[in-house]
Amino acid sequence: MAKQCLILADKLLKESDFENARQEVAKAQKLDPTNPYAYAFLDRIAYFEEQKKKGSPAPEKTPATAAPPKKESPPVQAKPPVSHQQQQVAAKPASPQKPEPRPVAEPGKPDQPQQKEQAKPETSPVQPPPVKTEPVRPPAEEKPRPPVPPPPKKQPVESAVEASRSVIRDVMSSRSAGTKSPPSASTPGIGDVLQQISEAAHQLAPNAPKGNIESKLDEMRRQIEMLTNSLDQERKVREEINQQQLKGAVKQFRSALEKAWANGAPKDEGMKLLQDLAISLGITEDVLHTLNREVKLDMYSHAVKEVVSKQKLLRNSSRTLEWLRKVYQVSLDEYLEYESKFLMDLVADQYKGTILLVSGDTKTTLEVGQKLKSTGYAVVGATSPENALEKIEKINPHFILCDMEFSQGYLSGIKFLHVLRANSKFNYIPFILLCEKNEMTNIQSSELRPTEGCVEKPVELEQLNAVMNEKLTAFRQYLSSI
Amino acid sequence: MGKVILLAEDDEDNRDLVQFVLMRGKLDVEVIVAENGKQAVEMAKTHKPNLILMDMQMPVMDGWTAVPLIKAEPKTRDIPVIAFTAQAKPEDRARTREIGCVEHYTKPMDPEELLALIQKYINP
Repeated sequence: MAKQCLILADKLLKESDFENARQEVAKAQKLDPTNPYAYAFLDRIAYFEEQKKKGSPAPEKTPATAAPPKKESPPVQAKPPVSHQQQQVAAKPASPQKPEPRPVAEPGKPDQPQQKEQAKPETSPVQPPPVKTEPVRPPAEEKPRPPVPPPPKKQPVESAVEASRSVIRDVMSSRSAGTKSPPSASTPGIGDVLQQISEAAHQLAPNAPKGNIESKLDEMRRQIEMLTNSLDQERKVREEINQQQLKGAVKQFRSALEKAWANGAPKDEGMKLLQDLAISLGITEDVLHTLNREVKLDMYSHAVKEVVSKQKLLRNSSRTLEWLRKVYQVSLDEYLEYESKFLMDLVADQYKGTILLVSGDTKTTLEVGQKLKSTGYAVVGATSPENALEKIEKINPHFILCDMEFSQGYLSGIKFLHVLRANSKFNYIPFILLCEKNEMTNIQSSELRPTEGCVEKPVELEQLNAVMNEKLTAFRQYLSSI
Repeated sequence: MGKVILLAEDDEDNRDLVQFVLMRGKLDVEVIVAENGKQAVEMAKTHKPNLILMDMQMPVMDGWTAVPLIKAEPKTRDIPVIAFTAQAKPEDRARTREIGCVEHYTKPMDPEELLALIQKYINP
């Protein structure tokens, strides 16, 4: 029934009876409110009514009755004044189930062109479809389009990209230069650039799915982190290489200095060569000066030791050492500054005297002998007092250290002491007995002379030195009393 | 390298000490060493040193024998020889002069003194 109403409305529209046509459409709408064609008809009616008011031909001039269109007005220019949907509605008013007779089409005539002819005013210029004057319900399948986003703002992106390029340029230039200089204050950091890019991306497409932006940012972050990591590794390697090179350079220069200073201060041309070498090795003036002083004092110290070890062959050790100080250009200030070191070096190797060590115990001989040698004494060993008596004439010792008891021979330590006391040549040689703990009381209670003493075994070097110094003092007093 | 000094000395410590002093004396000299008089005579002929420092008491051939041989050899007779000895008696001094030594230097030595003496004959 609604269809018949619409057919009738179509006839009325061709007769320009817009009011009745509307009423028929309204009837159709009442009968079938969901019929989309009814709404399309209302649009159509409104359009033709407006066209008529403007003086356009009425739609009753159907192709069948109206004059054929002029050849000079090509049909392509004549567009139906209705929307595409409306056109479809007009062209296919019938439902797809059954072909309905076209309400306006004459038999034998093509339907669609006819509709186009009807819809189009022949001479009128193409007009945009009129704004809907009545609320037209859109078809059920029609969905509202999302609003078109504004054109993209390129400036934030460009600045972000430029910033990221700047960082990458910085990174690449520092890679190629191998410098450790930090990025300039004006250069944004990687974090800043990423933040900037992120903000730019959100400004670009605020409604865009964040997943895409984040994944791209993550990818960029990964790439930058990889670049940064590789740069850090390269920097570390370079620093190690530089340190190794510096160490090598210092070692090489020190070796050259030692050669130059081996026989005293180098001559002027030698110093000039050393300075040139330092420059070529990249050694600074301060390092050169420090190394030069170190090497000079080292070489002087070695020379002093050598001279002291041969002092017997020298007429005057002091004069020789003074000559050596001039040879090595060691100032008095430097000498005083390093005096303790030189003295220690001297003392370490200085010959203090000869000690006759009488012991049947190999372990005691080795241990005590080693300790005495390390303090500058020459040590001659004897395995028994009898053996010692054989050697004493030859070595003329400054000190005698002797065990209390011996497994070989018939002389004990005390008896050996008494033998020496009886000999005017050896009776005042400082004599120290090496005793076990239980022997100490007996020995101390006996009548030992000031140049004689005893030390408990195992021998402690400190205790031995103390007793030896005490006996030496007594020996000096004895000598002065002669 | 400038001048050459022949050191004839049997004692190793003495040799080392003389070399030590000569190397630090800024004399710009090369030191060659003989361990006895016989070696010294041979080396004097082959190396023609600028100066000979001769210990007078050595094994194999002592300085008292070696110096006259050096002075008898035309190739080496002009090389100055300094007697380097522990013998310090006046008759020893006189004897070294007789056999052709230019100087008599008595051990133990004093580095500056020895260098001054050598300098006198190396760079007259």
